[in-house]
Amino acid sequence: MEFDFSPIVDNWRFFASGLGVTIALSAIAALTSILLGLVITLFRLYGPRWLRPFLVFYIDTMRSIPVLVVLVWIYFAFPLLAGVTFPPFWAALVGLTLHIAAYAAEVIRAGIESVRPGQTRAGLALGMSRAQILRKIILPQATIRMLPAFGSVLTIAIKDTAIATVIAVPEIMHRSEIVAGQSYRPIEVFTVAMIAYFLILFPVTRGVDRLYHRLAHLGRS
Amino acid sequence: MNLDWTVIWTSRDALLEGAGMTVLLTVLTMLMALPGGILLALMRLSNYRVLRGMSLAFVELFRNLPLILIIYWAFYVMPMALHVQMSAFTTALVALVLNISAYNAETFRAGINSIRKGQMEAALAMGMSRRQAMFKVVIPQAARRILPVFASTWVSLFKDTSLVSVIAVSELAYTSMQIRAHTFRVLEMLTAMAVIYWMMGYPQAKLVDWIHRKYGVKE
Repeated sequence: MEFDFSPIVDNWRFFASGLGVTIALSAIAALTSILLGLVITLFRLYGPRWLRPFLVFYIDTMRSIPVLVVLVWIYFAFPLLAGVTFPPFWAALVGLTLHIAAYAAEVIRAGIESVRPGQTRAGLALGMSRAQILRKIILPQATIRMLPAFGSVLTIAIKDTAIATVIAVPEIMHRSEIVAGQSYRPIEVFTVAMIAYFLILFPVTRGVDRLYHRLAHLGRS
Repeated sequence: MNLDWTVIWTSRDALLEGAGMTVLLTVLTMLMALPGGILLALMRLSNYRVLRGMSLAFVELFRNLPLILIIYWAFYVMPMALHVQMSAFTTALVALVLNISAYNAETFRAGINSIRKGQMEAALAMGMSRRQAMFKVVIPQAARRILPVFASTWVSLFKDTSLVSVIAVSELAYTSMQIRAHTFRVLEMLTAMAVIYWMMGYPQAKLVDWIHRKYGVKE
């Protein structure tokens, strides 16, 4: 069997910009997921009581349906319902954020709940308000413990961007499909895509593992 | 906008078959990925450097690739590279098993490693053989810790089977999208797909939460 990497060499700009889209989409999606997850968690823990069942329902729903289904629904079905259309990138960003935020919310809740109640009581004893306690005592401690989990959110985001190919977001996976189809060189193209994903993901998962071991003792306080 | 929800009722047989296929894929994959994961974990814990290295490389590779890429790779590259022809269903199964075996291997390894060394040493000191110590002391304790992670993997697997729709395996996602294409009832079919996934996935997610509460390890 002969290998011919010329389709990749010829299309390197095409792939490079796909790589850019993958990195941008996963970074933004990870960030927005963590922010939305934080908002959800704060409302769940400190918001009005009637809101809680809805938030829990939202989180459990996102945990029960595949991300592919969310993406496809947002891109194809939602525009019909709302009478708006958005480009695939935005649909993917919204879909990924809605989905990953549910996981981020669980992570953040676990982080906040891992800070012992004594910390809150100590804050109250010092005359701090609930908001001050949250901002100055609980969140700083929780954030350090949540760092490895935020890293996992990033790895999930990177892997899930590949699924955005089904709604034609021009990221690496989608561009590989196009070039593989045009050049009849799927072996070379998909192998290069594999290497690209591995090179992005391996350092991230390694970093997360390291961080996890380094910060593990903090979780036990 | 006029909606016609009857399309869901008229295509109920196809949807049920698709849902059945999703369940079948999940169950078959797990049945194969369990021994796969155990084998990889044992290789990782063995005394032979080559076996350890092979297991490590396998696990790291499949943990660090998006599943959809593995599916494409299995579908387009494997038949050409290995000169085998496989049906889309078999290809999907291969890709899922490779992926889930890697996760299971990590789960088993972490579970066994989480049992303190003293347990093994104590068992050996009592005159048990290494094998007895492993099967009577270490593994029973590890199993409890493995169960919650395993349950989470199960639910991710259930959801990830939707990805094999890209190679035209007629599970729930593919079937729904095919009906959408034939009938042009986009909103109805895609909503039905989401609802059916929800009906199947929600009880599983709740069950996982329960398992975590009951068997989860509190540090």
